[in-house]
Parts: sequence; C-alpha cells; structure tokens
Amino acid sequence: MTGKQKKAFWNAVQTGLIVMATLIMLVPIAWIFMAAFKSHVDVYQLKLFFRPTLENFALVFREPYNLGEKLWNSTLVALATVVIAIPIATMAAYSFSRFRLRGETVMLVTILATQFVPAVVIILPFFVMFRDVGLLDTRLGLILVNLAIVMPFAIWMIKGFIDGIPLDTEEAAMVDGSSRLQVIRNIVLPMAAPGLLTAGIFCFILAWNEFLFALILTSKDAVTLPIGLALFKAEEGDLWNLLSAAGIIIMLPMFILALMIRKFFVQGMTMGAVR
Amino acid sequence: MRDNTLKYLLVLPAVLLVFATAIWPLVESLRLSFTVGRLNRPPSLQQYIGFENYTWAFLEEPAFWNSVWVTLAYTAVTVSLTTVLALGLALLLAPGGRLRSGVQTLLILPFAMSPALIGVSFRFMFNPEFGLFDAFFGFFMPVFAGVSWLADPVLAFAVCVMADIWGWIPFLTLVLIGGLSSIPRETIEAAQVDGAGGWRLFRDVTLPQLAPVLAVVVILKSIFSLKTFDQVFMLTNGGPGTATQTLSHYIYFNGLKYGQIGYAASVAWLMVIPMIFLTYAYAKFVFRKD
Repeated sequence: MTGKQKKAFWNAVQTGLIVMATLIMLVPIAWIFMAAFKSHVDVYQLKLFFRPTLENFALVFREPYNLGEKLWNSTLVALATVVIAIPIATMAAYSFSRFRLRGETVMLVTILATQFVPAVVIILPFFVMFRDVGLLDTRLGLILVNLAIVMPFAIWMIKGFIDGIPLDTEEAAMVDGSSRLQVIRNIVLPMAAPGLLTAGIFCFILAWNEFLFALILTSKDAVTLPIGLALFKAEEGDLWNLLSAAGIIIMLPMFILALMIRKFFVQGMTMGAVR
Repeated sequence: MRDNTLKYLLVLPAVLLVFATAIWPLVESLRLSFTVGRLNRPPSLQQYIGFENYTWAFLEEPAFWNSVWVTLAYTAVTVSLTTVLALGLALLLAPGGRLRSGVQTLLILPFAMSPALIGVSFRFMFNPEFGLFDAFFGFFMPVFAGVSWLADPVLAFAVCVMADIWGWIPFLTLVLIGGLSSIPRETIEAAQVDGAGGWRLFRDVTLPQLAPVLAVVVILKSIFSLKTFDQVFMLTNGGPGTATQTLSHYIYFNGLKYGQIGYAASVAWLMVIPMIFLTYAYAKFVFRKD
C-alpha cells in the first residue's frame, strides 16, 4: 500500500470504530424510546416496526401508578435543593475565591472529601434521626439529605467561575466608595450569573437522579421518579412499555439540561482536578 | 462591615450545612458502629459493645467477605475497562471535525441518565425473551443463545459491569479529550519532525503528558465503583443469591432491611477507610501547583 492508501484505510477504520461506539451508546436509549411507544403486545417482541401509541404515557399518570405525584415530588425536591444550595454556596465560593481564610485549605479539602463519602454511610444516622422526629417520607427530609450531595459540587463549581472574573472592576468600585456587599450584589453576581445558572442546573440533575436516599427515606408520600420505576411490576413481571414511558419522563428533561451546560459538565464533576 | 469579619460570615452557612449533612452523619455512623444499634429496640437497649460489630463482620459473616470480593472485583474490572476504552475513544474523537464533534456532544447523554434507570434499561436489554443485547450476543456468539443472563452468577456480574462501563465511558472520554487538547501542539509536532509516529508518539509523548489526567480518571472512577449501588440494585438486586452484592448493597440490606443499623454502620466505616486514601490522592491533583 502507498502512504495515501494507508492513510485512507486508517481513516475508514477510525470512522468505523466511532460509528460502532456511537451505536453502542445510543442503542439502549433508542430502545427505551421505542418501547415507550409500543403497545403492551409489541413490547414483548423484538420488533423494529410497530404501530406507535401514546397510550403508555397516559397510563403511567393514572391509578395505580400516579406518576404525576412522583414527578411533582422530584421537581419540588430538586428545585428546593438547588434554591437553598446555590446562594449559600455562592457566598462561600466568593469568600474562598477572594480572601485568605484561616484553615482555608482544610475547609476546601473537607468539602471536596464529603463528595466521596458513600451515600449509604450518610443515610444510616439520618434514617434513625428522621424516624425519631417524624421526617421519614417527607420532601423536607429528602431536601435536607440531598444538600449533602449537592453542596460540595456547588461550592467548587461556583468558586471556579468566580476565580475567572477579573478583580479590576471590583477594585475600581471599591475605590469609588462601594461597600463589599454592594460590590458583590452589583458587580460579582451579574458577572457570575451564567456560572450560577450552570451550577444550578448541574445540581438539579444530581438531585433529580438521586436514588439511594429516596429509596430509604420515602415510602408513599414523598416518592421520587427513580424510585417510582419500581412500581411498574405486575404478577407476570415488569411492564416494560410503562417502565420505558416513565424512563423517558425521567431522562428527557435531564438530557436537555445536560446539553445546555455540556461545556461545564467535566469541570463540574471533577472539581477542578482537570483543567 | 470589615472584610475580615465578612469573609468568615460568608463561609459560615456553607460550612455549617456541610457539617450537618456530611460530617455529622459520618461521625454519628462511627458512634453507631460501636453500639448494638438495632432498629426495633428502644434507646435504653442500645448499649456500647466495643468492636463487636467489627469482629462479627470479620469472623462470623461470610456474606461480608463475599461483598468485599464482589466490590473489589467489580472495581478492578470496571476501572480498568472504562479507563482503557475511554482512552481509546478519546484518542479517536480528539482530532475534531464534524462527525467527531457531533459524537462528543452525544457523550453527555449516558451520564445525565439516572444510574437507576441505566440498571433498568440493561435488565430490559438482557431479557432472555425480548432483550436486544441478549439477542445480539445469542446471534453472534451461539454459546450465549437462550442464556438467562441475570440468573447466572458470572453473567449477571458481567451485565452489571457492562451497565457500569456503558454509563461511565462517555463521561470519562470527555475528561480525557479535555486532557488531550491541553497537550501543547508543539511537543507533538516536534516529535513528528524527529520521525516518531503512531505507537511511539503515543507512548513517549502523549501518554506521559496525559498521565495526571489519567490518574484523576482512575481515582475518580475507583471511588464511584467502590460505592456502586443504584444500578446493581435495579439490575440484579445483588443476585442471583449474593453473586453481585456490592458492599453498599450489603450495608443497605443489613441496616435497613434487617434493622441492624449498628452492624451496618461498622461495615460502612470499613468502606470509608479506603475512601480516605483515595480522596487524599485526589485532593493532591486538585491542589497541585501549575
């Protein structure tokens, strides 16, 4: 083979591998999308062509599944988690970014480390405490423990964004007589707003997909969407068409949100270990 | 207000919140691990029993050791497979162009999927009657035709691994693409001028420069593999028998299903110890000087 042929051959091999990897990645997702539109009969066969129906999406919202309640719980819990976490994280992130604090490194490492604590360790004492104070199966309880997951990411991510805002404007405003709090409100917050939104979306996805806490803490009233997946079982086994419809309701909003912030996903997840 | 006071006031709520939601439960778990800690007993009967829960796990519980081995095997297999495959995919996709950039965009999707849902979808894909992957393997590898994947201990483990790496490779590929793109072009070009190509270029130039990012990938994935729960719970629920029971799953079952919170807390703390080392290693990369 000449050099040119060799290169063409390599390009073809690479394209083939990329296409194959993409297929492996997309096929399970596509299969769920298809199954969600299949009828009860078609879903139990390996069919590529079938008559699509919207029936499954109607069924999951009816008795006995009531997916609407779970959707509401998931939305409320994830939203409340973010609304509490982001302002608190922003205050801390600003301070970590702009000042030198005593014990700063210890605090930052501890915050980072809490992300790695297995969820199952965190939940044991919370389960005992929530049982004693009556917070089991409440959205409030779920929001509280979700903050444990979200806070380290929020602080580190927002710190990264504020680190990237140049100091000059802030200093100029201080010289002109603005107080530190005015500077934060009038200069830093507007400039950091896209970053705050990104961090908020990232945390929303984490809280939305959270599974173990909700599995252990909720039973009836506060059940979230991922736990709701367990509902779609009948005596004859899993109801795959309904499971798939519920799956779409869980993943589609997250796909859209994740694509919106895809440039920051890696930074967010690795907390600045990869730059 | 003086900056000197303000800077501490600003971090106070966050520090309190992290303390209440993460540090307190960690310490309280440690305390519980030294008590009887049974859910069905009143507080007056939760006396301290020293290291009894720990010795019980080590000496009297084959199921504990089983979950240790399952977790270690799971971690070893998933970490090595995801790292190697993600590196391969990153090298394929890094050059850019229309096709490659498009695929890079799609890579975010599996990671935005709830791990519980990944577990469910793989259970679907490996259903012996109408599972797509089951049919695929059965067609190309007749050994697997008609096999009930999730009923076989080894194959169920393999399916858990496949679900795991399916969910993680795309994200870690993105991390590695980021690492590859930060390697200065000049070093690669200089090596090419010197006549290095293909494998030698990769081994002598790319790989050493990518090492810190690779280390981050391995540590991060190890941490998440060690604490795996969601997919396994939805996919096999630890079964068949205890063939895929990870430590997290074992702790969940003993603590919440059997009500042995004290015992579960002791096993949980045994799991925290390796996490401390991994976190320390990870923090070194976060705080490394440029």
